[in-house]
Amino acid sequence: MRAYLTYLSKRLVQFAVVVFVGINITYLVTHMTPINPVEQSISAATAYGATSPEAIEMMRQSLRQLYGLEGSPWEQYVSFWKRVLVGDFGPSLSAFPTPVSQLILRALPWTVGLLLVSTLLTWFLGNLLGGLAGYYRNSRILKAFGVLSMGLHPIPYYVVAFVLLIIFGFLWPVLPISGGATMASDRSNTPAFMLDVAVHSILPVLSLMAVGIGGWFMGMRSLVSNIVTEDYVVYAELAGVKRSKILQSYVMRNALGPQVTGLALQLGAIFNGAIITEQVFGYPGVGSLLISAVHAGDYSLVLGITTVSIVAVSATVLLIDLLYPLIDPRVEAR
Amino acid sequence: MITELRPIPPSVELKAPQTAPLLTVDRLKAYYKTQLFGVDREVRAVDDVSLKINRNEIYGLAGESSSGKSSLIKTIAGAIRPPFRVVEGSVRFNFKDGERDIYKLSPQELSAIRWSHLSYIMQGSMSVLNPVRRIKHAFADFALPHVSVKGADFTRLVERHLKRVHLDPAVLQAYPHELSGGMRQRVTIALATVCSPEFIIADEPTTALDVIVQKGVLSMVREIQQELGSSVLFVTHDMAVHANLTDRLGIMYAGRLVEEGRTRDVFKKPLHPYTAHLISSLPRIGDEAPKKGLEGSPPSLADPPSGCRFHPRCPLAIDICHREAPQMVEILPGHRAACHVAQADPTRVEAVA
Repeated sequence: MRAYLTYLSKRLVQFAVVVFVGINITYLVTHMTPINPVEQSISAATAYGATSPEAIEMMRQSLRQLYGLEGSPWEQYVSFWKRVLVGDFGPSLSAFPTPVSQLILRALPWTVGLLLVSTLLTWFLGNLLGGLAGYYRNSRILKAFGVLSMGLHPIPYYVVAFVLLIIFGFLWPVLPISGGATMASDRSNTPAFMLDVAVHSILPVLSLMAVGIGGWFMGMRSLVSNIVTEDYVVYAELAGVKRSKILQSYVMRNALGPQVTGLALQLGAIFNGAIITEQVFGYPGVGSLLISAVHAGDYSLVLGITTVSIVAVSATVLLIDLLYPLIDPRVEAR
Repeated sequence: MITELRPIPPSVELKAPQTAPLLTVDRLKAYYKTQLFGVDREVRAVDDVSLKINRNEIYGLAGESSSGKSSLIKTIAGAIRPPFRVVEGSVRFNFKDGERDIYKLSPQELSAIRWSHLSYIMQGSMSVLNPVRRIKHAFADFALPHVSVKGADFTRLVERHLKRVHLDPAVLQAYPHELSGGMRQRVTIALATVCSPEFIIADEPTTALDVIVQKGVLSMVREIQQELGSSVLFVTHDMAVHANLTDRLGIMYAGRLVEEGRTRDVFKKPLHPYTAHLISSLPRIGDEAPKKGLEGSPPSLADPPSGCRFHPRCPLAIDICHREAPQMVEILPGHRAACHVAQADPTRVEAVA
């Protein structure tokens, strides 16, 4: 138990360092971009008519005040960390004065819902079929599936998304092609609304799965085809242990470790959003939010989104590190 | 007149080998047949081997690497996969509940005799246990389908067996990586014998162990064999192990059995020049002469030499050895060899080494 506590505290320190460094790098990058949010807003405001230089100067002054861009870079940096530690990323610059955290919280359920479903489904199906294909190497159906998924794998997922859009939105228009739910619907948690959300997610989920499944499939298949030659599998076969038992407890169980790590990393990356998928399907998630923030030079929002995803990725890695001894007893808590 | 009451020594009087052989291997040929770019290749790993193993005996199989030992026992165990296949001959077991020809059984029938009648201790004890599961699961997976008990009764049966082989039942809760190499090998042997099989194949079970642990494992094999009254086919290239453990010994060279007899007879009076060389390579107390290696290397099994396969390395080779492959012939009582020279004059071979 004491060994585990030491292990835990070490991993926690590691987590804190990774998050700190990650956020600093993002802060630096966003603040060093040549985009000036103040000038961006002024040019937006003055695009449709002449304004006197004095008025523009006054506008500049008040915007700097509002955006928290006063003081030396060091003072700005310190006040940034003070706010981040209490979960406040300041007001959004492009949707002023809505707080960044509110924008992120509004988009997050869409993205997490969409990607959680597609990531888990993809992982489960890819590994199951890959494992079966590695073990039953002569199965024609599995071979055909391997060819199909390997063929789809290198295609960029937005291309698959467009193909799906053309098929189900144009040639055979049965599925909604855009948005997270029907626009004018009643957005309370009624079954009808849930169904509407589910129907809207079919195409994005399908396009993510079609492309993602190949990677898991091939990875698992090659893991399994190595494991089936291991002595403990050969020995169990020699002893007449049932094939289904061998597949489950000897082959899959040993192949699972690396795949679970891979899943954890992907789950962490969920908070980034699937940027292009969300763009293509007009999905109101974090990915779309990030794109619009970048276009508007809204670095408070960019910083907020990246901070959330840095923390999420590091936290899932931490979680997996802590849970790994349960999956593989050989990994000791050190 | 009875002057003293001594207990009858076990093994010899009580469990003398019965005459009906438990295993009969008859003119067995098993080849690796591959086809690459239209070129057929045939590796004759087991070439025309006949042998019999009696009940309640330990039969040793010796030979250098790539002599076909492993291929032969895999064939006997019915554990071969393409491209390795049986070309000719048969492997028949005469179990208590009837005779079985391994290559005429359906996969289900074969699974049914495994572990209950025929079990196997595999080479490489370090890695034959599933690393992510506790030892008790291995016992359940391997033995449960072959015994009539379940649940707590099964656990008691396993624990009783472990105690019988002097293992602490606590190992059931351990993961393989928590045990030492010697312990793991003992667990593997316990695992292979838990169903009291009639025939046990042991493929180099002591090879990776140091001599102290080796001694423990060997006496464990002997003890279990005595207790169960089973037959053991024990394979190792280590002649010292054969000298200490086995009742009868077969020597393989280049896919063929070249000599077979009681272990003591083979060591005392080898009838094949190859065996003579093997035995002379063993260290003896007081012998200070440097050991000479045998010239040349074992032949390729894809393209074996004509006639006797040992003739290119044999100091006694005569004309006929180049042309004709010698057959296994009983030269002395219970002692067979495949050598033209020995068949003509058995005393010539001893002088060779």
